[in-house]
Amino acid sequence: MSAHDGRRHAQELVLNVRHEGGHSTLMAPRPGLYRGAPAPDTVLAPGMIAGELEVLGVRFRLLVPHGAHGAVLAVGHEPGSGTKARRLARRPVAAGDALVVLDPARQAGASSGALAESAQGDAAGLAFRAPMGGRYYARPSPQAAAFVEVGDILEAGRTIALLEVMKTFHRVQYGGSAMPERARVLAIVPRDGDDVGASDALLRLEPA
Amino acid sequence: MTGPASFHRLFIANRGEVAARIARACDKLGIVPVFGVSEADRGAPYLEGRESVLLGPGRSALSYLDLTRVVQAAKQSRCSALHPGWGFLSENPALAALCEQHGITFVGPSAAVMALMGRKTPAKQAMKRAGLTLIPGSDGVLADADAAVEAAERTGYPVLFKAESGGGGRGMRIARRAEEVRTAFEDARAEATAAFGDPRVYMEKLLEGGRHVEIQLMADRFGQVVHVGERDCTVQRNHQKLIEESPSPVLAPAERERTLEAAVRAAASIGYVGAGTMEFLLDEGGTLRYMEMNTRLQVEHPVSEMRSGLDLMVEMIRVAAGHRLSVAQQDAQLRGHAIECRINAEDPSQGFKPCPGTLTRFELPDLEGGAVRVDTHVASGYVVPPFYDSLLCKVIVHADTREDAIARMRRALSSMVIEGVETTIPLHLAVLASDEFGASRHDTRRIPGWPPA
Repeated sequence: MSAHDGRRHAQELVLNVRHEGGHSTLMAPRPGLYRGAPAPDTVLAPGMIAGELEVLGVRFRLLVPHGAHGAVLAVGHEPGSGTKARRLARRPVAAGDALVVLDPARQAGASSGALAESAQGDAAGLAFRAPMGGRYYARPSPQAAAFVEVGDILEAGRTIALLEVMKTFHRVQYGGSAMPERARVLAIVPRDGDDVGASDALLRLEPA
Repeated sequence: MTGPASFHRLFIANRGEVAARIARACDKLGIVPVFGVSEADRGAPYLEGRESVLLGPGRSALSYLDLTRVVQAAKQSRCSALHPGWGFLSENPALAALCEQHGITFVGPSAAVMALMGRKTPAKQAMKRAGLTLIPGSDGVLADADAAVEAAERTGYPVLFKAESGGGGRGMRIARRAEEVRTAFEDARAEATAAFGDPRVYMEKLLEGGRHVEIQLMADRFGQVVHVGERDCTVQRNHQKLIEESPSPVLAPAERERTLEAAVRAAASIGYVGAGTMEFLLDEGGTLRYMEMNTRLQVEHPVSEMRSGLDLMVEMIRVAAGHRLSVAQQDAQLRGHAIECRINAEDPSQGFKPCPGTLTRFELPDLEGGAVRVDTHVASGYVVPPFYDSLLCKVIVHADTREDAIARMRRALSSMVIEGVETTIPLHLAVLASDEFGASRHDTRRIPGWPPA
């Protein structure tokens, strides 16, 4: 659980998926308190985070399973669904409860989703952005080598940083259907230990 | 109910017959039960109109046996108590500890008492101090093969090596002669290591041809312990009980009194709370020798309920909520004779092959104004899932005498209709009709009257 420098890494659980009616429904793998549902239109792909499940006080990041991808559909008829307040509130879910519905027909480029948007980059070109706000760490422990150096070629699943959010460390992985499969690191934006906001640029990239 | 508050919502960390039984007790107490269920049990008749939380898939390891799923489900469904039933996690001290950590009352004894009784030799020493008779054997766990030889020579053959953290018949080896001791000891160690992660082994004299007798105990948080008599569970197959009755037809009154009193003292001496059962071997000389304590209510508890008129499930929930036992020893009067038959979806004529499938018809017998009781979670149309044990229902009868109880049970089983799967009813009818069972000449080695001649 704890690294030698005392950092705790968030644990992960893979969501269950059911395909029906042209949509993919992501379901809770076990009972827990769910929060952090992705906003409507966010484009998700396997390995990406679709919220958090708290189980007996331990928070697990919920990963999109293989074979599931697409844009998040707004869950209708729930008052306030999709609002930030709702997304941050915890709610109890049982195993098999539907958490997120994806429309595979809508991929990057076809939507104005948060992640797609963040991948558009700014004047400086392509950027990989923070999935959430927190303290940025470039290396797994003070003595260890950095996760990423300028010039590295990134592929999906490569850890590029840790973000400390409320005393919990989250592994930030390169990927997402909006990002190129392989990308070269041109610059690392924050310094080790900087506080970053959600969707702040972490890396400047070019397709490789 | 007066006195301390009760629970508003109670989580049932189990399935099937025991889950339905716990829910009935909750209904009596005005408690809302919430069921933890697996995908395989979703839609079962006993869940109709009930609150439930899906724990995970049919495989028990990912649902009923997963501590964190169970406790998290209890917590998020706002239950202040959790009942483990029997089987699954019911004797796992880690569940009691985890509940405590999360502010949920575990309906059962403390984690410490469960852990003590789960370790065989300290439990035996505690029981011996309270005056119970043990099976002769080694003093505690055996250090090495030389110690095993020394203990076996002193005790006399045949001997049985057993795992300190064991259960379910695993980690057990018999030695009938001196030259078998070292091999049996080493094999038991190896199997115990593989099965329980604990190589420690102790030794007992192997007593063959005995009967299985157990004592029902109830205890509250105020140190009061009451026994509800004994049950004789000698009709078994591979350590699986088939028929239980009370009183034991062969136990001498003096030995009964002596052991009941010692069992009450023993439970009090370890600070036991809730329902528990001490299991004994009744040897050929008529002495009850302590084997182990089950720190939970047991499948066959209705036998004791029929004789005492008590609702043991209700009592154990009330005790967990901080109430005193509703009866003192002198008020726990035991009347008549009770017998229980376990009806499993198994084919006794095909080596007890399990028979999952659909119950096309399930019809209860005449309950004879309460003298016949059927505890079940099934109904016509129920699909017996392949993941779990094969119990369909338990039929319990009460009468003034053993002969009348046997006659009543034969009547009840003959008029019961179960179609779609094979059941153990033919076996029970053969046993009940046999002279061997009628005269109580049987022991645990063989089922009386089966197979039919």
